[in-house]
Amino acid sequence: MLQTVAAAEPSIPGRPRSQLVRRALFYGLVTILALVFFVPFIYTISTSFKTIPDSVNVSLIPHPWTTAAWSDVWRRYDFALYFKNSFFLCAVIVSCNIFLGALGGYAFARLHFPGRDLLFLIVLATIMVPDQLRLIPIYVMLVNWHLIGNFSGYILINLVTATNLFFMRQYFLTIPKDFEEAAKLDGAGHFKTFWRVMLPLALPAIGALTILQFQGTWNDFYWPVVLFQGQAHLYTIQLGLANLRFTYSTLWPEIAAGSIIAILPILVLFLALQRFFVSGAVTAGVKG
Amino acid sequence: MMATGSASEAAPNRLRSSMLGARLSEAAWGYGFAFVPFAVFGLFFIYPFVYAVYISFFHWGILGKQPGASGTYNYSKVLHDPVFHIALKNIAEYALAVVPLEMGLGLSLALLVNGKIRGRSFFRSGFYFPSIASSVAITVIILYLFAPHGPFNTFFGFSTDWFGNASTVGWSIVGLNAWTTSGTVMIFYLAALQSIPEDVYEASALDGAGAWRTFRKITFPLLKPAHFFCLVVFGIGALKLFDQSYIVSNGTGGPNYATTTPILYIYRQAFANYDFGVAAAAGVVFLGIILVLTVAQWFTLGRQEAG
Amino acid sequence: MRKRAVVVVLGLLLVAVALAATAQAGHKSQKVTNVTFAGWSSGPDEDALDQQMANAFNASHSGIHVNWTVINGNYGDAMTARFAAHNPPDVFYVDSSVIGSWEKQGVIQPLNGFVAKSHYNTKAFYPKLLGAFKKGNTIYGFPKDWSPLATEVNNNLFGKAGIKSAPKTWAQLKSDAKTMVQKGVSKHPICLSPDWARMGAFMYQNGGSLTKNLTSKANAAAVNYYVGLLKSGLAYTPPSGSWCGQELGQGHAAIIFEGNWVLPYMKSTYPKVHYGVRPMIKGKQQGNLAFTVSWSMSKDSKNKQAAWTVLSWLVGKQGEKLWMSKGLALSPRKDVKSIGGRGPFLAAAPFARGWGFGNPNFANAYTVMGNDLNAVIAGSMSTQSMLSDVSKALKGQ
Repeated sequence: MLQTVAAAEPSIPGRPRSQLVRRALFYGLVTILALVFFVPFIYTISTSFKTIPDSVNVSLIPHPWTTAAWSDVWRRYDFALYFKNSFFLCAVIVSCNIFLGALGGYAFARLHFPGRDLLFLIVLATIMVPDQLRLIPIYVMLVNWHLIGNFSGYILINLVTATNLFFMRQYFLTIPKDFEEAAKLDGAGHFKTFWRVMLPLALPAIGALTILQFQGTWNDFYWPVVLFQGQAHLYTIQLGLANLRFTYSTLWPEIAAGSIIAILPILVLFLALQRFFVSGAVTAGVKG
Repeated sequence: MMATGSASEAAPNRLRSSMLGARLSEAAWGYGFAFVPFAVFGLFFIYPFVYAVYISFFHWGILGKQPGASGTYNYSKVLHDPVFHIALKNIAEYALAVVPLEMGLGLSLALLVNGKIRGRSFFRSGFYFPSIASSVAITVIILYLFAPHGPFNTFFGFSTDWFGNASTVGWSIVGLNAWTTSGTVMIFYLAALQSIPEDVYEASALDGAGAWRTFRKITFPLLKPAHFFCLVVFGIGALKLFDQSYIVSNGTGGPNYATTTPILYIYRQAFANYDFGVAAAAGVVFLGIILVLTVAQWFTLGRQEAG
Repeated sequence: MRKRAVVVVLGLLLVAVALAATAQAGHKSQKVTNVTFAGWSSGPDEDALDQQMANAFNASHSGIHVNWTVINGNYGDAMTARFAAHNPPDVFYVDSSVIGSWEKQGVIQPLNGFVAKSHYNTKAFYPKLLGAFKKGNTIYGFPKDWSPLATEVNNNLFGKAGIKSAPKTWAQLKSDAKTMVQKGVSKHPICLSPDWARMGAFMYQNGGSLTKNLTSKANAAAVNYYVGLLKSGLAYTPPSGSWCGQELGQGHAAIIFEGNWVLPYMKSTYPKVHYGVRPMIKGKQQGNLAFTVSWSMSKDSKNKQAAWTVLSWLVGKQGEKLWMSKGLALSPRKDVKSIGGRGPFLAAAPFARGWGFGNPNFANAYTVMGNDLNAVIAGSMSTQSMLSDVSKALKGQ
């Protein structure tokens, strides 16, 4: 492993040339790869500063250079509102998922109740049900319960996902039982054990779940399209972007600007939580 | 809890009843904790599925039951529909191509950024970047970049319509999705790699094993739990392909059915033909197939997962 | 400490949710009846114009307030969900290709009763256009506008090839294209969509029909001519994500066949390209397709009378005058003029057949049309098989 070699090597000044060459090749490869991954976004940034006639051109440099798309997107298309809406939904849904996913995950990992394993398999099976099949029954349900004119319907159907519960369960399985036994000896009941002992131990997994669910809700396109279309005050960022694609006229610069606005928060969140995320996902899906 | 000698016969009974009480209490708490999640799954996944099974036996329109064939008519129609067969073939080819590709790519990227290299955060973010953007945004950008006279073709001197040709569109979508999903796969493998202790590598180095041998005989097998999780999660994800095939083909599933997937088929039956009974039947059939595959994976790979 | 903070935050969030939920608890309607008006937009111009129409209506009607919302992308899905839940918009767009199936699903309100009660003059509409939204004598919507196809050419490329005017016949189309290739002006001068919504016009021009005897020799010959242009390299299909209008703007195509919608598109996206619009070419005879969209009322509308007032105004003389002002499409009424410069399109009025022709199986048939045509162009299917496939699909088999 390259990492082992690098780690085992003492830092002697004036390393052998073959070592430097190998290092250079490695960094070169990784940089090129990273650039390839970045190229589409460089194009997006460039397009956001173009005029509509120019946006269909292939060149990387805008000709002429304009910030019209940005002001258009922020004011005329009210992306500030969409941003707020998306943010609100993410905050609520992520919190609920953390709490309910951890609660349920803990139950399936550590508590014994009849039918537990069968119920868990059923939970897993729900991952397979496609959205397209669920759409009409759920929409009709929400309308009948008058949950369509605001966010409550959308929040309700996203309170907790099977994947999140699965993720938390896997993580709880890897925590040594000593912690719970110590808590029991201290006289703690099940909820106290969960709340005071297990949840804090699961912080890394919670960090991972935060970014995954934030990303999922932030990028959710399908449900907002059906539930919120026609109610401009409820639009999320993805819905706003979708509405920029008219039948015969695509506002590429505006879409580019909107896409960048859409990606930035997740990027920031990822950079901030990156370290938790990695060490959290460790045991969750992986150790078993 | 331990009774003293004078009540020695009552002691086991009391112990048993308090154990029973503890067990009942634990069961109650268990159900209590799992209640809300299960209610959500029940309402928004199980109920719609049961509803779908129900309507699959009728001729069902936008406003409900319609006069027409009932019973197993819809199932017969779906199973005999050549377009559904094409959809199954397409998705099988797609999944068999994309899942190993994105897992391989994800694992490779994880290995690359695992070590203490400089700028590690930058590279990790870079590789994860495509996964962050929404599928709609990414697909639109890619269509633009890979247009026949677009940047990619101009730069490399090609003229193929990658996403418009029936013969190339399948592989183009495989490439697109492998690229966008590999970042997420990378994260999972990166995490898994952290749990392998350093001394394993040191021991292997001491034995004189090269990098490749170490990887093949030690690292790869130690990642088995990660392989299982990714295979299940990303395998199901691949089988449910819809977004890209819809955007690329403008919802038609073309050209010449090349981008028709089972989910797109279900979608078209429901939202273009308004034949919800047929859509439901197709959904039930396809779900059955996914279920069989997942159970097979569980029994071959995931057995050790059982907590 | 930290945990209490978490509890407090969670609690606050729950409160926020509850507040958000109740905050929207229905607009209390005052004396004003609210009517919802929805549709998609071909461009930001159309969205703005719809809003203008709503404003103009609201200014002149005190008891009714109409709200316009645009629903782009997935218009059909959003509407289907709303129909299923019995809460659709009151007045909305319906494309002529789906009116047949929506009417069959029972979600469109027949309008004859309202027409009779208010003595509405339906004769002002061009019969063929109104007919696209009728089943027998029942009216399911009024056409808001329409457009046929025309021939659009790139003036610069034509000038370079020394061709004086746009082709008028099938023969001229072929020879003009050949000249351009020979002179090195363009590699594939013609852009043809692999779409029956374009090829259909050619079928009518050859004496064929899309509603009667689909497998006729005349239709087959028209298909062979169309596909032949593609196979010979004189024509090409627009790449994924593009359309012939974009190809014209980018200078890849010299001749395309599109409708009125290409004018605002070229103006905003390719203002510097010099192009000309000529009447659609003709084959043995003139033939064209009319693309039209109606404004219709939902059967589940809760304010049908008010919705009728809105609908009849939108599509009435005053409304249509405003609608025509931006030249987005042609006027469906005999007593309202289309904007200037639309001669080539108007010339097609006598022989334009409504696209979709009220067939309830149209959506499925259209998928078959598209996929089969791609197969024929690729050479893996014969013209005859495609025609019989489509014929069966149109009949619902």
